Amino acid sequence: MTIRKELASSLVLMLSGVVFLLYDIKYPLDQWANPGPGVFPLMVGTVWVILTAWQLVQSFRKPGSPGGEEKGRGDIQSVREFLQRNRGEAKALFMIAVFITYLLMVKWVGFFISNFLFVITSSRLLGAKDWGRPVALSTGINLFCYFLFEVWLKLSFPRGFLF
Amino acid sequence: MTHHGILSSLLIAFQPVNFLACFIGAVIGTLVGVLPGLGPAAAMALVIPLTLKLGPTAGLIMLAGIYYGSMYGGSTTSILVNVPGEPASVVTTLDGYAMARRGRAGAALAVAAIASFFAGTVSVIALQLFAPLLARSALAFGPAEYFCLTVLGVVLLSNLTGKSRIKSLVMMMIGLMLSAVGIDPLGGMERFSFGFESAQGGVSFIALTTGLFGVAEVLSVMTAGEEPVKLLPVRFRELYPNREEIKRSVAPVARGSVLGFLIGLLPGPAATMASFASYGLERRISKHRDEFGKGAIEGVAGPESANNAAAGGAMIPLLSLGLPFTPATAVLLGGMLLHGITPGPFLLRDRPDVFWGVIGSFYLGNMMLLILNLPLVGFFAKLVRIAPRYLMPAVLVLCVIGAYGDNGTLFDVWVMLGAGVVGYTMRKYDYEPAPLVVGLVLGPVMERSFRQTLIISRGNLSGLWDSPICTVLWFVILVTAVMPFIIPYLREKMRNPPSSDPAA
Repeated sequence: MTIRKELASSLVLMLSGVVFLLYDIKYPLDQWANPGPGVFPLMVGTVWVILTAWQLVQSFRKPGSPGGEEKGRGDIQSVREFLQRNRGEAKALFMIAVFITYLLMVKWVGFFISNFLFVITSSRLLGAKDWGRPVALSTGINLFCYFLFEVWLKLSFPRGFLF
Repeated sequence: MTHHGILSSLLIAFQPVNFLACFIGAVIGTLVGVLPGLGPAAAMALVIPLTLKLGPTAGLIMLAGIYYGSMYGGSTTSILVNVPGEPASVVTTLDGYAMARRGRAGAALAVAAIASFFAGTVSVIALQLFAPLLARSALAFGPAEYFCLTVLGVVLLSNLTGKSRIKSLVMMMIGLMLSAVGIDPLGGMERFSFGFESAQGGVSFIALTTGLFGVAEVLSVMTAGEEPVKLLPVRFRELYPNREEIKRSVAPVARGSVLGFLIGLLPGPAATMASFASYGLERRISKHRDEFGKGAIEGVAGPESANNAAAGGAMIPLLSLGLPFTPATAVLLGGMLLHGITPGPFLLRDRPDVFWGVIGSFYLGNMMLLILNLPLVGFFAKLVRIAPRYLMPAVLVLCVIGAYGDNGTLFDVWVMLGAGVVGYTMRKYDYEPAPLVVGLVLGPVMERSFRQTLIISRGNLSGLWDSPICTVLWFVILVTAVMPFIIPYLREKMRNPPSSDPAA
């Protein structure tokens, strides 16, 4: 991991700790004889900020690794290289987008239809070349979910507004 | 007492529903062990909603079955494919796969299964002897002692991942912070719910764990891509180790069982640590040292017995003190709490059926796993060929159902997705999710015991260290916290002693 990433992660976590502490102030601390609901989060938040600050200082003190930092060349070649290098991350981001769409769809078209489409899409996204096997897989998973969870375990899934 | 315990534990475990739960747990555990990626903690988190329908005893027997079943399954792919199903079996690849390439795959698998069975059984006997003793001693514990124990847990577990101690502690603090979300356990005030009604009951444990382990794992697999797996063939008639192999395995299995059980009592990735420690020990004392790495049977027998014994050892602090010392036992504790069971010294008194049932299921499960893992080894090994493009969508759907089924609300599924994205990002920055889960589980105990201690001592902070047990525990905490910094310093000093002859 590059030093820049180490610094960024420590800084983000430290700021999150500070925000958490600031938010915690609104809860009463009361007295030591009867500590209020704000005391424990205050202690945890303080330790959290101290630790991340320590981590940040450590990251600053680390010697720079040669070639570890990415050089911003800014030309088309470097952009292409960057995309090539981070193909996996792009896939993961796309998967997250598909997941969000799926969760939004569940409200409208219900669990099973959304699920059917989600399994096919995610299978294709994970590298399935054909359509037949993802469709068969999706059908199988949906039937399994229906019989196990809805019929046997009586779990009620969202039906959607449209149905 | 012990005979009575063994008998009653077996009677409970042999009840049809518990028997079935144990079998299903053992099968799922073996599958989890076989399939790389999905670890026992993630699988247990996915299965918790299903177990809620079974009741506490059967549900927890199933979860425990997944935990120790995964230790058995991990060796199969290590030996046949050179792909460890879970971290505790990494070391088995060194000699197991080498044996398989020499045509001794069957013998390696048989020795691994028998070693796992023997060590598993030894650790259950020790668990049965020591857990009630520790639980009875822990009855003398009050809130102050519990607070000290949880602080000790946090300090000790900061080395949970074996990576950066500070990063582990940060993750644990985030877990402790998340445990504060919802209604305050003592005053009843709503905290950190940001107006969301669904967050008033706290962060859903299942949503968080399925997200951190399940969804994050799928995203990581997508980033890493996949490689085709080559499988070495094994036939049933090859499953017999020869006399020489049996003779050379006996002592490593015995040593691995004892070593693994003792390491299991310590916080951290016990099973992985135990298998590596056993391998190191065997290589050091073996007469066939030159064979290690080229197919020495000791390199399979020792580590495989050690990782199974460690799984049993790790159950002692969980069942008797209510403290999870590994990620998998943290999830098991979460499952217990969802079933309305509070592990700890009162578990044996209040719910002997659960206590003895889980212990009895270990005997039963070990037998089932031996039977499952020998004749069906070829079948389980073939499962590793299932491509992630078909397996991972199924995992995602199970994650969704797990998170949704907990409270029947889509809010928890959004929480799971958020946890998955955060978990995936954190992993990229070397922040492991396991300490966060431990913090989430320890948080309520820590907060309650801290505030109760102060109330009892009327605000006097000395209440936290007044009792002799607390004094000892604080001493241990101090030593444990300081040692990691002092040891490297001393080592450095010894390596470069200061020059006694000041030439200047």
